[in-house]
Amino acid sequence: MLLDRVNESNTLLLLTNMKSMKHDNPAVGVLVNPASGRDVRRLVAKASVFQNTEKCNMVYRLLGALGVLGIGEVFMMPDVAGVACHIMHSLQYGRHGNPQKLPEVHFLEMPIEDGPVDTLRAIELMVNRGVGAIVVMGGDGTHRLVAKKCGDVPLVTLSTGTNNAFPEIREATVAGLAAGLVASGLVTAADVCQRSKVLRVDKNGAAEDIALVDVCVTSAGWIGSKALWHPESLRELFVAFAEADAVGLSSIAGLVRPVDRRSCYGLHLTLGPPGEGIMTVTAPIAPGLLAPVGITGMKEIKRGEIQTVAAAYGTIALDGEREIEFGGQDDIKVWLDVNGPLIVDISKTMEQAVRNHVFVKTEYDEHRRESAS
Amino acid sequence: MSELKKADLLKAYRTMREIRDFEERVHKEFATGKIPGFVHLYAGEEAVATGVCMHLNDDDRITSTHRGHGHCIAKGVDSIGMMAEIYGKKTGSCCGKGGSMHIADLEKGMLGANGIVGAGGPLGCGAALAAKFKGKGGVAVVFFGDGASNQGTILESMNLANIWNLPVIFLAENNGYAESTGVKYNVPTPNIADRAAGFGMPGVTVDGNDFFAVYEAAGEAIKRAREGGGPTLLECKTNRFFGHFEGDAMTYKAPGEVKRQREECDCLKIFAAKVTSAGLVTAAELEAIDKEVAALIDEAVEKALAAPTPTEADLLTDVYVSY
Repeated sequence: MLLDRVNESNTLLLLTNMKSMKHDNPAVGVLVNPASGRDVRRLVAKASVFQNTEKCNMVYRLLGALGVLGIGEVFMMPDVAGVACHIMHSLQYGRHGNPQKLPEVHFLEMPIEDGPVDTLRAIELMVNRGVGAIVVMGGDGTHRLVAKKCGDVPLVTLSTGTNNAFPEIREATVAGLAAGLVASGLVTAADVCQRSKVLRVDKNGAAEDIALVDVCVTSAGWIGSKALWHPESLRELFVAFAEADAVGLSSIAGLVRPVDRRSCYGLHLTLGPPGEGIMTVTAPIAPGLLAPVGITGMKEIKRGEIQTVAAAYGTIALDGEREIEFGGQDDIKVWLDVNGPLIVDISKTMEQAVRNHVFVKTEYDEHRRESAS
Repeated sequence: MSELKKADLLKAYRTMREIRDFEERVHKEFATGKIPGFVHLYAGEEAVATGVCMHLNDDDRITSTHRGHGHCIAKGVDSIGMMAEIYGKKTGSCCGKGGSMHIADLEKGMLGANGIVGAGGPLGCGAALAAKFKGKGGVAVVFFGDGASNQGTILESMNLANIWNLPVIFLAENNGYAESTGVKYNVPTPNIADRAAGFGMPGVTVDGNDFFAVYEAAGEAIKRAREGGGPTLLECKTNRFFGHFEGDAMTYKAPGEVKRQREECDCLKIFAAKVTSAGLVTAAELEAIDKEVAALIDEAVEKALAAPTPTEADLLTDVYVSY
């Protein structure tokens, strides 16, 4: 019904009421990882397959919501995997199925290397373009890359990966509305955004990488196929937050001692074989893969407190994927930083929009508008 | 995760080195004009065949492609016999009658290189069906390329394999080019593995330049097949260092593309760096393997050149199997 009324007036009715709050020419960035959701967890666990066609459908739903909120421009990452091509083609021929006016979609001019560097480059360009929010569609790994470059631009996180603890599984239409509300200033970002935590990993005194959810020290000798599915290889686990209903490595902590995303501390667990140590927890370390894991030690880690990895060799997994190999000569440190990226709380944003009368038209609102003019 | 002992690491390196040296030598020998027919070289893709075949035994079957030398060596086929076969000599693996594109060794479970793109799919399903009937945990691996991924034979085989729950692994070697056509021009999805969902089987994509990534994923897929879990589509993204065939000028590749791949994506360099930096194998041990393999390839060429060619009397032998 809302869309019908919007179409009649060709703009969102209450935007006029909120003129004083509106940002000029608001733009939004949309980052779609075309490669998310293809790792070995489809074989060793029962991880879902997320097709790029569905990611494109999500983008169309996002665009419809952004258009309704008066977002004029959207900047997207180009790719050679078919996502950009699908969207460009559909927009050109009007086959996107959106009845309302859509924002103008610009694909960023940048070299495409078909790898993680594309995400880093695209986010930098979006930030330089002054977008008011960035919608990220990917897994924990994609969000980790985005977090390195997004600065203080609010992120709307959408899960399209394997077993994600960081981004939310949300309907793209609502996520698009939240992004549009924040980018346009119809709700105040400071009221609805939460700064997330980051685990920073230093190798031999230099910053090496980050994780948004967990850092796991494993005995696996190589990065290999990246995912972790053998619980006996897990040695230490650092979590920035751990939710009881999470899937992935953070669930080991989440099922013993949950840590809120908003708290200013994390946890450090030392792990061992089931039956040894202080307790054994059966946790969903991957979709459909519940494994018993022994916990031999657990302590809180405060922000900025440097933790030294005890293991002499192995690999470090960041948000569930082996990324760093280390040996006897390497000194690995992990510490919690509470100054991570700003994340849009979608529920809170929509609640704020309701309080601001963004989506409704009443006589009172009309009166306010006339008085203001 | 990777429970590989030192002996396994040395074996993996030796296999990859043997494939590389074999192919580099065939590249040189072909230029002399003494090798009949066509050759399609596997250099650059060694980690794939090696990472997969390390999990197989002689009772397991593989089907191959026109680019089959690497699969043969990884499955244990004798390089001396292979070189003679490529030279068309009587001492070759198939008595000099098959050549590069038809090398086979049934005792090793190598059902043959194949000149027909996508032909390995139905053959692999047949081998897997036989293994299923035998009930001894045997598996079949179908190696195919990104070009063959569009062939009806491969797609029909995937369908059949899933209907019959066959112990088969569809191993897509995505080297980026179907002959001279870039994969982005003929495969509509970002990954060949994306197609697995349409057949109801797991689809996984790994870095085919990383032996360890291939070894881990292939190990899980093969274990699953042995235990009755059914087929898997495993895609390994890799690179070929030579043209589609020897003589291909590779005008469809970007300037410097192969040079960059040889510098940055060489599976042998990546492997050597990992195992030596981890202190598991020394550089001296790898150099010893290099020398041993170089001598083997020299011997293979010398013996191939000296061997007799088949005679008219051999023309009608080995054509049909007698039961």
